[in-house]
Amino acid sequence: MANDAMDTPQKPAPDDSGSRPAGDWPEADWAWAPYEPDQQRPWTLERAGHLYRRAALGANWAQLQLALSAGCRLTLDKLLRPPPEALSFNHTYDQYEASAAGSDSADALRAWWLRRMIESPDPLRECLTLFWHNHFAVSNGEVKNGRAMLHYVQMLRRNALGDFRLLLGEMVQSPAVLLGLQAAANRRAQPNENLVRPLFESFALGPQVASDEDVHQAARAFTGLFVFQGRRREIPREHDEGVKDILGQTGNFGRADVVRILLEQDAASRWIVRRLYRWLISEIDDPPADLIEPLAKDFAEDYDILRLTERMLRSNLFFSDRAYRRRVKSPVEFACHIIKGLEATVPTSRLGDQLARLGQNLYHPPTVKGWAGGRHWIHSAALTGRANLAAALLGEEKAYADKLDPWHLAQKYLFADEKSAGQFLLKLFVQDDLDPSTRETLLQGQDANPADSPSERIRRLAGRIVSLPEFQLA
Amino acid sequence: MNCTRRDFLQTGLGSAVLASLPGAFGGVLARTAAAAAQPPAERDTVLVVLQLTGGNDGLNTVIPYAHDEYARRRPTLRFAAGEVHKIDDELGFHPRMEALWRVYQQGHLQIIQGVGSPGADRSHEGAMRIWHTASPERPQMQTGWLGRAADACWNPQAYDAPVVFVGPIAPPFALNAETAVIPAVTAAGDLTLQSRWDSPGHRRATSASGEAAEPVGSPLLRYVRQCASRAGANSKRIQRVLASSGGGDYPSFTLAGHLQTVARLIRADIGIRIVLVELGGGGIGGFDNHANQKGNHCALLGQLSESIGAFVGDLQRDKTLDRVLLMTFSEFGRTLPENGRRGTGHGAGAVTLLVGGRVKGGLTGSHPSLTDLEDGALRVQYDFRRVYAAILDGWLGLDSRAILGASFEPLDIVRA
Repeated sequence: MANDAMDTPQKPAPDDSGSRPAGDWPEADWAWAPYEPDQQRPWTLERAGHLYRRAALGANWAQLQLALSAGCRLTLDKLLRPPPEALSFNHTYDQYEASAAGSDSADALRAWWLRRMIESPDPLRECLTLFWHNHFAVSNGEVKNGRAMLHYVQMLRRNALGDFRLLLGEMVQSPAVLLGLQAAANRRAQPNENLVRPLFESFALGPQVASDEDVHQAARAFTGLFVFQGRRREIPREHDEGVKDILGQTGNFGRADVVRILLEQDAASRWIVRRLYRWLISEIDDPPADLIEPLAKDFAEDYDILRLTERMLRSNLFFSDRAYRRRVKSPVEFACHIIKGLEATVPTSRLGDQLARLGQNLYHPPTVKGWAGGRHWIHSAALTGRANLAAALLGEEKAYADKLDPWHLAQKYLFADEKSAGQFLLKLFVQDDLDPSTRETLLQGQDANPADSPSERIRRLAGRIVSLPEFQLA
Repeated sequence: MNCTRRDFLQTGLGSAVLASLPGAFGGVLARTAAAAAQPPAERDTVLVVLQLTGGNDGLNTVIPYAHDEYARRRPTLRFAAGEVHKIDDELGFHPRMEALWRVYQQGHLQIIQGVGSPGADRSHEGAMRIWHTASPERPQMQTGWLGRAADACWNPQAYDAPVVFVGPIAPPFALNAETAVIPAVTAAGDLTLQSRWDSPGHRRATSASGEAAEPVGSPLLRYVRQCASRAGANSKRIQRVLASSGGGDYPSFTLAGHLQTVARLIRADIGIRIVLVELGGGGIGGFDNHANQKGNHCALLGQLSESIGAFVGDLQRDKTLDRVLLMTFSEFGRTLPENGRRGTGHGAGAVTLLVGGRVKGGLTGSHPSLTDLEDGALRVQYDFRRVYAAILDGWLGLDSRAILGASFEPLDIVRA
């Protein structure tokens, strides 16, 4: 079960400089064709784990086993088409959140979102909601309005796998977004570029597509839009009724026209495809244009996010070593993977705070560009923090005491003795994809202190496994 | 200086230097010595920024005791010549600041007078935001000056965090970074691996397992392994520091505890360049004394002075004071006139204190006029970004122009 189980037809160069010769990239036709397991590239535990990391915030043992027996296609069907109870689950959580969102703070919301990520029967939606939170990044540090943040994230969740045109249209008039970007007052006499600039450069088109003049003109189209006391207000006499020139089009445009014009640009679909590629497939290289183009063309047809997501997740590329362990887990993913793997619920208020200290404070992305991700998540102090969080979750901290019990879980799946329980954990958390010396080291360490109970030793083994460099990669 | 990512990429070092160390996270703990190689940093200077939250009364910190106008406008809050620790025949430290006065006498303290922002924002939030962003022109900017410094320090071989926040409160906005993840700790032990999860047997078994590097599929894995090995090594270093007897002689204030943590992290030598600590934000009002200022301010300045004094003594014993520069700041000073409730209002310019072994000791600038006021407050003599620029360029060896978005004439703060 080594890395070479994840072969692609092309042998990848072992560097990450992004300056790989173009010939190293697979052909787009092959890359985006659905992955069909065969003898060279069988459907394995590694691939099932990979899929669940990227598309489901982690997996438990039963899910991995079911995925193995059901096969790749059916497993994806299930992730992409959630069960009917997902609707009522999300409805219930919406109500919990609504009653928690009374204040300036979003800390209660943060706790509920973490809990929803752990418990949701539709985890792909949570993955994508987090993707959009990272993409349309506004922070309650600026918004200072829990209710506005509640509506903003619920809007992202509602549209997470829907129509990007509607999502973008709702986003540009979300009170949280307007407040968060200091764009709550758009007067005719003082067009405000605080929303429009990130709208062009980061939300819809990517950097260096539009000119300053386009941005300036578009800001005029947004005049008349205000937020008072957390609510959106239109003031028609503040709207600039003059003619605007935006990206080559001329007219008396309003903000809906700006959204339409943006979505008519080829750059829009390319940008979103690239962003999603980075989220779902790989953080470490910039794919060439011909790889992006077919997906971008297809996405631009109707901006169906679900179809784009599905195409990526089912693809040969997704199941190749271009993607395997080519992302760093964010702190939220790190915690979810542990907790979901061990099939427990933990109190998430404190967890939200601990994850903030590891660099990912939900509802508070650092800037409008979201979390930088990738290698930036990791340095020596962050790894120490992750190891200590794992230790806390596994029982060092009272708040979590006995919630996560790997020994008990192993018994449940009939891994009755210590040795098989250890192997079970290795398969659960890293699909046993470790180099032999690492595995040996981990399992040898188990005999260290025979005074401890097997339960204690298995607990610590679980902590050491999730502290492995391998486990930090998604 | 060449510690920006762009420079790094241009030199084309790329992944060649990311030589892989084998072994599990825990596994590497045993090979401390091998992993403890120093990073190729050009400088090992450390900046400690101490935020005084609430608006510190600079006039009662470094006190113009000899000025009639001071005595006249501060009927209840004034200190007389006999009470202050005299700097010269005009100025003296607050009576509770004997420890800092001693540091001053040793030549390790520079008092910069009349530092502030050219703008006139006198709300706590607005003024603090300006000090944090270093951008009075565009305070809505989304990163803080220390966050940008952290981003500038990043390169793919820097496996350690260069910037750390020490304190129990949410990290101040000055640390908001676009890409850098800045650890927030309350004690040095937070950066160590918990011992029960790192059993001796585990370490022994690991050191026996070979160093034979296997080819690693993902370049990210090589990177994370390097960081893991440093995490283990750093953890050991901090544990050694914590176990050693020389912990310094600190008073029992929270701030003193935080500065002791800073000293320990410096002693452990784990690649930290910038630390932010805070005084005043955890309690009621902090330095914001609109009424009955005297007692509260005395207490805070006593904590400030004795904590820094202990910190300086600790670093001196350790012979690391030359590597450290501590800067205090507050969002604003306070009004010269009292407000009738034995308190003061929000002001403008105030003193900034710089402490360190290589700091040019003494007074910088003249004392701002006590008669030519701006809405009751001292006028600003030095744009605060001249202090930032001096620290970024002259002390940390970073590019102040890139971090501050413009060039500011640096003040003369460091001995050659």
